[in-house]
Amino acid sequence: MNQEQMIQAVVKEVMASMGKAAAPTDGGVTQAQYPLGEKIPEKVFTPTGKNLNELTLDKVIKGEVTAEDVRISPQTLEMQAQVAESVKRDALAENMRRAAELIAVPDERLLEIYNALRPYRSSKEELYAIADELKGYGADKCAGFVREAADVYAARGRLKRD
Amino acid sequence: MNIDEKALRSIIEAVLQEYDASAATAVSAAPRGEVKGFEIAGQAEAKKGTRPDEVVIGLAPAFGDSQTKTIIGLPHYNVLKEVIAGIEEEGVSFRFIRVYHTSDVAFVAHAAAKLSGSGIGVGIQSKGTTVIHQKDLAPLSNLELFPQSPLLDDETFRAIGKNAAKYAKGESPSPVPVRNDQMARPKYQAFAALLHIKETEHCDPNRKPEELKVIFK
Amino acid sequence: MKSKRFEVLAQRPVNQDGYVQEWPEVGLITMNSPFDPKPSIKIENGRVTELDGKKRADFDMLDTFIADHAINLDYAEEAMAIDSLEFARMLCDINVPRDEIVKYTTAMTPAKVTDILNKMNVLEMMMALTKMRPRLFPSNQAHVTNVKDQPVQIAADAAEAALRGFDELETTVGIVRYAPFNAMALMVGAQVGRPGILTQCAVEEATELLLGMRGFTAYAETVSVYGTEPVFIDGDDTPWSKSFLASCYASRGLKMRFTSGTGSEVQMGYAEGKSMLYLEARCQYVTKGAGVQGTQNGSVSCVGVPAAFPSGIRAILAENVIGAMLDMEVASSNDQTFTHSDLRRVARSLMQFVPGTDFLCSGYSAVPNYDNMFAGSNWDAEDYDDWNVIQRDLKIDGGLKPVSEEEVVAARNRAARVMQALFKELGLPEITDEEVEAATYAHGSKDMPDRTVVEDLKAAQGLLERKITGIDMVKALYRAGFEDVADSLFKITLQHVTGDYLHTSAILDKDFNVLSAVNCPNAYTGPMTGYVISDARWEEIKNIPKAVDPDSIK
Repeated sequence: MNQEQMIQAVVKEVMASMGKAAAPTDGGVTQAQYPLGEKIPEKVFTPTGKNLNELTLDKVIKGEVTAEDVRISPQTLEMQAQVAESVKRDALAENMRRAAELIAVPDERLLEIYNALRPYRSSKEELYAIADELKGYGADKCAGFVREAADVYAARGRLKRD
Repeated sequence: MNIDEKALRSIIEAVLQEYDASAATAVSAAPRGEVKGFEIAGQAEAKKGTRPDEVVIGLAPAFGDSQTKTIIGLPHYNVLKEVIAGIEEEGVSFRFIRVYHTSDVAFVAHAAAKLSGSGIGVGIQSKGTTVIHQKDLAPLSNLELFPQSPLLDDETFRAIGKNAAKYAKGESPSPVPVRNDQMARPKYQAFAALLHIKETEHCDPNRKPEELKVIFK
Repeated sequence: MKSKRFEVLAQRPVNQDGYVQEWPEVGLITMNSPFDPKPSIKIENGRVTELDGKKRADFDMLDTFIADHAINLDYAEEAMAIDSLEFARMLCDINVPRDEIVKYTTAMTPAKVTDILNKMNVLEMMMALTKMRPRLFPSNQAHVTNVKDQPVQIAADAAEAALRGFDELETTVGIVRYAPFNAMALMVGAQVGRPGILTQCAVEEATELLLGMRGFTAYAETVSVYGTEPVFIDGDDTPWSKSFLASCYASRGLKMRFTSGTGSEVQMGYAEGKSMLYLEARCQYVTKGAGVQGTQNGSVSCVGVPAAFPSGIRAILAENVIGAMLDMEVASSNDQTFTHSDLRRVARSLMQFVPGTDFLCSGYSAVPNYDNMFAGSNWDAEDYDDWNVIQRDLKIDGGLKPVSEEEVVAARNRAARVMQALFKELGLPEITDEEVEAATYAHGSKDMPDRTVVEDLKAAQGLLERKITGIDMVKALYRAGFEDVADSLFKITLQHVTGDYLHTSAILDKDFNVLSAVNCPNAYTGPMTGYVISDARWEEIKNIPKAVDPDSIK
């Protein structure tokens, strides 16, 4: 590709991406709405159903906002994933979508699952069982990811040894 | 000890020669059992200990075998002598194992801890890097870590033994004071990599830890 | 007879460093190894069947992960078809925009990206870095640690570091069980110095995540990845476990980056006979595939290894360039002692200082190096004025600014008093007035009184057992009368709700605005484009206290 062709290609691409940024489809967000906390705080909710604007220091002191409230919700992470996609960071968006699925999993269990995925910790059956458990949380992407890991570990001899 | 370039070169050359020799003859990593001050007289499959008052000392694959000194030239004899002296001062018993499946000091120490009746193990690499571990901790966590091998001398090894023994007795000792010398890295790190590559060549991923009978002369 | 000249030379700092000759067969070579694989890719039915000369049946874990997650297959064949030399020229050409490069680099293989960098000299790589850095402007990060794990000193040093201009602060521990104290002291002290500073505590992976979940830290960085399967396993992880960990962080609204660096594989004994840079390229493709926003690289704690070999400092710069090519935030090390020579350490840092990276140091030791628990940084608290003068000499932005003794002393004192009050509110072992006073004026832990370690460790673990969270700290600070610090800590916590700072290269300004590669993208296309130092910032850099004002002489 010579330089002229390349510049043409780039211009075309930039134009296309600008068009995309200007017209978010079906209520999605793009880099234009970023940072969400600044541009569209009214659309940011916690998993406990509180709006970002309700989270104030005053309410923390009064005990009306607790540690359970200052967490991200799946909807917010989905919006952030869309922002990432709008700037062509697909892998980052994918990670955010896996993360959205894990919000409902309790801290302790999440740490246990992470440890179970470390080398030589689990049998294939155990990892498959975790995948099923994740499905129970509606975490389909993560379940697939754990199954994929189990298969690779089996092939590479990284499952639990007796 | 001060390693100048010449000394470093001669050490590296020696290591390289050894590497060439072992590569050429492809002999098995059978223990030589000839090291100054002590002798590894025999080995058998390591078993989980039942004594609640023991510390298991895990040696990395090349310790006291193809390598006999730490990175600063401290003989392995001194290392073992000091560690067990520290343990004995606390009235605690000890056993030696050698780990083959890994040369990573954290995993060596964790393997020792898992076999220890008290759950406390010490892992020592040939270059001197040492960890005090507890069986219920994550492998890469630790009770005490001594990552800067060039700073470990007789006194530190004795203190490590003593503290390991105290943990075995269920005490919470003050950790061995951490030493820090940022100039150890520029002087030793590449050399440490070389020694570790050598140690790792003695790993056997399928060989289980073995109990060592160590005789001090 | 001995030459007196050689005698003098032998005593020079540079000759206290260790050097080793290349040994490519075991991977003791930084770049351009004859044993590195030749770049290749084969895609059948939307699936990679060959990667860098290896068939899928022969893939190890990393190959599988990279092939399945890290390469944009839409452009892969096109990207691989571009001649490496031509691509090297595009990379340092101001006429080829960043977006165009990223389109192809995210569709390449590790061997291809290595092959491209093998053809570039350091000046060309610096040009590439200045163009490819994701965030518009550079920034800096500091280490705040001490040998005693003295929490009051950590808070005071954090406050000073924040005041001096660092946007991120990192601590670690001498003794693991101290982690909750160190993390808390760092976060609180940092907010006293400058609201909006992001803080982290480098400890074992699962513990680090737990500290983040509990609100003791704002982000994480010490999530290591390695370039060969055996070393990955010795690091007690796999690409899948590490990716899952990355998702765990994001699920709690916590920013994080992975860490990797040349030399780690030989350091850990399994380089599989490949060059350090090729293995590092694999690390960064794993990072990219995990969907992590950024990477800390530049050999990091292994710097003594590449630095002992030919072209090692060039390889470290090349790593930084790879991170930026993959459109990831780059925290570019400059964080570990690798030489006795002041000349070598400046030469090494200019590679990043001049082009600018997302975080030049990761980090700069905000304490004297004897207190640096990352085994010493390339820059420490005693170099503050050198750094400021280099910024002024070259008119470059290294993220720091000159400060007055009065403001530093005031900030340190306040941070120490905040800690004293916070400890009291949380029922932790007393912080005495003597400690507050010492921390206010201390240079390092040698100036600090000892604390009762066993009691501290018990109390630090107690914080975790009692399930104390960031919100509890906010309340305690408020009760203690430090409402502004409570407010800052709370606003950091709000980042975990919006997730805005999860995006590439994000930092917070003093008003808690998020500045990242999304709303502040780099747009460098040559002179007077991209980041140009503003007049206000130049005034700040220019006016070092030592400079004589001509008006002062009548």
